[in-house]
Amino acid sequence: MRDFSYLRATSTDAARQAAALPGAMLLAGGTTLIDLAKCGVAEPDTLVDITHLKGLDRIAVDERGATIGALARMGHVADHADIKSRFPAISEALWQAASAQIRNMATIGGNLMQRTRCPYFRDPANFAACNKRVSGSGCSAIGGVTRGHAVLGTSEACIAMYPGDLATALVAFDATVHLGERKLLVDDFFLLPGTTPDREHAIEPGEMITAIAIPGSAAARRSTYLKIRDRQSYEFAAASAAVGIEFEADGRTIRDLRVALGGVATKPWRVRAVEDALKGKVLEPETVRAASLLAVEGAVDHGANHYKIELAPRVVARAILKLGETA
Amino acid sequence: MTVHNIRVGESKRGDASDGTLAEAVGGRLSRVDGPAKITGAAKYAVEQQLEGLAYAVLVESTIASGKVRAIDTASAEASPGVLRVLTPDTIISLRTASDWLGTTPPDKPYCPLARDITFSGQHVAAVVAETFEQAVAAAALVNVSYDETPSIVDLSDGKAGDGIAIDAMTKEWGDAPAAFAAAPVRICAAYNTPREYQAPMEPHGLIARWEGDRLTVWEPSQWLDGMARTYAEWFEVPFENVRLVSPYIGGGFGSKALALSHGAVAASAAKMIGRPVKLVMTRPQTFTGYGGRAATRQTVTIGADRDGVIQSIVHRGVNETSIDGMWVEPLGSVTSIMYATPNFSSKQNVVRVNSVVPGAMRAPGENPSAFGIESAIDELAYEVGIDPLEIRLRNYAEQDPHAKKAWSTRQLREAFAAGAERFGWSRRSPKPRSMRDGNQLIGWGVAAGTYPVRRAYGEAVVRILADGSVEVESSSIDMGQGTYTILAQTAAETLGVPADDVVVKLGDSRFARAGVSGGSRLAGVMTGAVHKAATSALDQLVGLAISDPRSPFHALQANTLVVANGRIGSPRGDGPDVSIAELLKSVGRDRIEATGDTMPANSTAEDRYKNYTTIAMALPHTEGDYSRYSWCAHFIEVRVDEDFGTVRVSRVVSALDSGRLYNPKLAESQWKGGIIMGIGQALLEEGIMDRRHGRIVNNNLADYLVPTNADIPDIEVISVGIPDPHSSALGGKGVGELGIVGVAPAIANAVFHATGKRVRDLPITLEKLI
Amino acid sequence: MTKIPVHLDINGRHHELQIEPRVTLLDALRERLGLTGTKKGCDHGQCGACTVHIDGERVLACLTLAAQAEGRAITTIEGLAREGELHPVQAAFLERDAFQCGYCTPGQIMSAVACIREGHAGSDEEIREYMAGNLCRCGAYPHIVAAVRQAAQEFAS
Ligand SMILES: Cc1cc2nc3c(=O)[nH]c(=O)nc-3n(C[C@H](O)[C@H](O)[C@H](O)COP(=O)(O)OP(=O)(O)OC[C@H]3O[C@@H](n4cnc5c(N)ncnc54)[C@H](O)[C@@H]3O)c2cc1C
Ligand code: SF4
Ligand code: FES
Ligand code: FES
Repeated sequence: MRDFSYLRATSTDAARQAAALPGAMLLAGGTTLIDLAKCGVAEPDTLVDITHLKGLDRIAVDERGATIGALARMGHVADHADIKSRFPAISEALWQAASAQIRNMATIGGNLMQRTRCPYFRDPANFAACNKRVSGSGCSAIGGVTRGHAVLGTSEACIAMYPGDLATALVAFDATVHLGERKLLVDDFFLLPGTTPDREHAIEPGEMITAIAIPGSAAARRSTYLKIRDRQSYEFAAASAAVGIEFEADGRTIRDLRVALGGVATKPWRVRAVEDALKGKVLEPETVRAASLLAVEGAVDHGANHYKIELAPRVVARAILKLGETA
Repeated sequence: MTVHNIRVGESKRGDASDGTLAEAVGGRLSRVDGPAKITGAAKYAVEQQLEGLAYAVLVESTIASGKVRAIDTASAEASPGVLRVLTPDTIISLRTASDWLGTTPPDKPYCPLARDITFSGQHVAAVVAETFEQAVAAAALVNVSYDETPSIVDLSDGKAGDGIAIDAMTKEWGDAPAAFAAAPVRICAAYNTPREYQAPMEPHGLIARWEGDRLTVWEPSQWLDGMARTYAEWFEVPFENVRLVSPYIGGGFGSKALALSHGAVAASAAKMIGRPVKLVMTRPQTFTGYGGRAATRQTVTIGADRDGVIQSIVHRGVNETSIDGMWVEPLGSVTSIMYATPNFSSKQNVVRVNSVVPGAMRAPGENPSAFGIESAIDELAYEVGIDPLEIRLRNYAEQDPHAKKAWSTRQLREAFAAGAERFGWSRRSPKPRSMRDGNQLIGWGVAAGTYPVRRAYGEAVVRILADGSVEVESSSIDMGQGTYTILAQTAAETLGVPADDVVVKLGDSRFARAGVSGGSRLAGVMTGAVHKAATSALDQLVGLAISDPRSPFHALQANTLVVANGRIGSPRGDGPDVSIAELLKSVGRDRIEATGDTMPANSTAEDRYKNYTTIAMALPHTEGDYSRYSWCAHFIEVRVDEDFGTVRVSRVVSALDSGRLYNPKLAESQWKGGIIMGIGQALLEEGIMDRRHGRIVNNNLADYLVPTNADIPDIEVISVGIPDPHSSALGGKGVGELGIVGVAPAIANAVFHATGKRVRDLPITLEKLI
Repeated sequence: MTKIPVHLDINGRHHELQIEPRVTLLDALRERLGLTGTKKGCDHGQCGACTVHIDGERVLACLTLAAQAEGRAITTIEGLAREGELHPVQAAFLERDAFQCGYCTPGQIMSAVACIREGHAGSDEEIREYMAGNLCRCGAYPHIVAAVRQAAQEFAS
């Protein structure tokens, strides 16, 4: 790890100002940043520790929705009674992520900003080419080990998978990211790699995530997060789905549906095609399975990650059907 | 510096089973080193606090094949805190050491930093600095340039070829090809296992310190004397000048038995800067700094009659080795003994690839071998329509089919019966895909496992001290098998003292010698040595009590006395009754000391040296009239999600024959640990290669998946062993390696039963079932 | 880079260090303070061997800068037993043989204490999931579950 200086921010403004300086980075739970600094990927000159700031860890929930401070920690949000009851998918996405220890450290702001687990990205000593690290250097993954890489939203420059679980749930429920005054839909906050995979978020220097807000909805209340992986726990998703559903009074006809995919795309992946195909339909296994195939429309594999194209629609279908069962 | 020194504690240390006292051999005494481990007091090798310690960090090759063209160390040397940068040009010259058989090495220098690169991740340089952080930062600044040449990536590489035939592995009887051709039922399949890694939780590393020409190495070690020999030869100092200290070992699984190049680098650095040096591998470095289990390929063909009785087995195996090292993973080891067959042929090749030389990993040979034969017989069972358990019984080998000798003990039939009963095997519905629970397909699989009884010699010192307490010393080790505990039990029982009064000291090469702790041989060897030493100490004690004129027993004119619970008395209960301490005081002795070894009586000093520092003198498991193995049968239930292809193990019942158990509580833990590693092997573990770079890319614990707690169900183990007098002095057979053997095929068989899909390539990941 | 003073409150004792900001809490404990009970298995948040408590919550010392922990109460395995009395979780680990080599064990125990305190030890399934962040290569898992279950029941009663 390269040497850096350490600065403890005393206010949000001070943090923003300090972090705007070249070479400076915000430090929250450190579970991404310290890890990547040890890998030689992050090379900050100054770390601006924001974990001692007061008031940014608040969790407020009512009928209209939830507002979660950027410094609220994953574990606390996951266990929050109102989040569990009004946004089960959010709680489930969180408790199935990482480990209990990491969730006690990791903040919601830092969580959105976590970086890809692409092994080439994480190993600069062995793999010089990585467009995400060094723009224009090439992509080591293409033609290499791609089992964990994205099949949706990829570009010729980068096929790295966005690994976060929470953001997948957030994007399904139209959450917004608060950068102080500026507010962005989560869907807009994350950028596609295109030709600039080094730029992952619509956040400007000097900006800081202060909170996220999730509108309350019937679909959010009846929601789930289904995460499939090789290992039962402590692993990123092979494919996951955040799904929320609202039925008409008959309890069978779908009025509202939210579907987002994780583990398969370069950013949290909302799949409106599936939503549109099923809205107004009666929930039947066959219909759901057929519509779920739309989740991977346009998917492109790189060999070893082909299974994700098969897997993702099945995860979506199962999640939808599971919510139907609990009617 | 402290050597391990923990007194067997107070009470509540274990529970009695079937009336056996917890403290006696065979009792369920809790780990005597437990209190130190659960309080954080146990200092592992690299945790010694030394004055003036400097830190070394390795720099590794980023190509798989070629030459180092140049190493630019300028910026590293200028980096803060850096004391020295070691390269092939600047590191001191060492001598080549002998191998583990003690073969005289070529008379040429040895350089642990490579100029000629034969695998990615080879050590090419090292940085020594004042602090760990400084060394890490500076190591990243070492700039190595290479002339790269094409590499052979793995077994499937077009350049790999058929490899080298290992004639010593050939086992043949009858006419296997002809019998196969004539058999009415024939199956033939190929089974592959990938590179797997021991991944002990404690990374490899060491602290090396020189005082003049004496070297002390604190290093996790499965073999102190063997490693001391290597260090002594490298640095051309007398064997006695090297001291290895390894009080606790954070897991080894085969990987910590030999002195490796990183050790040579650290000890060289310590010598060069005149300060103690600590070098610990990063987790990624542990994937290339030494070898895991070699990738293997096997084809197994079985010819049988329609009743499933085997007529012929033809087996061909290949494992990978490195460009300049030789590792043979004996793939025919289980194939040749598990089932009776009149005709048999097994041959093996090894193929050179650009990898670090593979090494021993829990049950090397037996483990992949069992995956082949135990999968194949399952395939035969379905082919002929016979229950997989029944077909195993039909082909039961009543004697060792290869050595043609009687088994010393083989409780495998009992294992099948006990396991099946407990598991409820008779309720199995035979057809694949016939058991389900919602979206989950349920499968039940069975497989057997075995591991030879490896025997060697060992030495121990037993001391009875003035206060009546007892000290046991040996340079053997405890990496979690429970050596501290069972040796305390052995000494306590033999001497007739409470286990609380026994202190066991291990893990220091200054102590009485011991050979390698590998191949599950240690317990059998060391309990024998301690038993012998303790018996001789007891004889001395009783002898003194009877014959010394100052002894209160002198007048009794008894010809024997009994010692129980730390007190001495006459067998009839008449006469005096004194504590050991009182007796020693009365006869004016401050201690009684006895050395016990299990070497043949006329052994020379040279024999001893060879025995403890090489594996050349290990006794064959088929020596004499018997063939000695431990045995097991695993019954496993899996649940496979029909949409996702994810496999979860939901139930395990294993019945195992390790002979007599010295401490069932600890043996059960080891068995379960082996089974759990087997679950990882079956479902998760695989080194994934970037074929363009010849490099394993999942070289960390987030990507090389080992099982978590959430992957493991409750596991039931049943001991079906009986004391085996031919295997060890106290009747035990091997424990540590046995549990893993047969787990992967039992799971693969269960997956077939669940899904109708036969997966012959480990691990069984979801894309293979989706 | 210049060293900075860092004050750490560990197991109720105050420690003062002069260290570079990049020093992690784990390396501060192991390499500077002689508190080697907390183990390093991966240095990247992937194994749980370095689990300690900060302000009563389980966290990973390898991804925490020592400087970040200033002003917080740190508890390590060395601080768990009180006045020579084993913590009930420690006692349960011994009784259930919930370890072999012992290297993952301090992390397991610190994690288990927190797991029970968090209320995540309600069933075996829950224990397995909430203890999944502590790898044990010796495979002591079933016994760890038994020990956590037992200690949780002792706390409950
Ligand atoms: C072994 C392991 C397994 C994991 N498994 C999972 C998993 O299964 N699922 C999952 O979703 N995640 C997983 N994670 C990732 C984990 O959730 C993230 O590392 C964590 O959420 C990051 O939060 P943090 O507070 O620690 O961020 P930090 O590491 O402190 O910061 C991360 C980045 O965000 C920036 N940043 C932090 N706070 C702000 C802010 N308020 N505004 C703007 N920028 C900010 C930092 O400058 C930095 O660039 C895993 C991590 C590890 C190490
Ligand atoms: S996929 Fe993206 S992150 Fe990975 S190597 Fe290619 S450019 Fe880098
Ligand atoms: S050492 Fe911290 S999680 Fe592995
Ligand atoms: S006890 Fe050895 S790793 Fe857990």
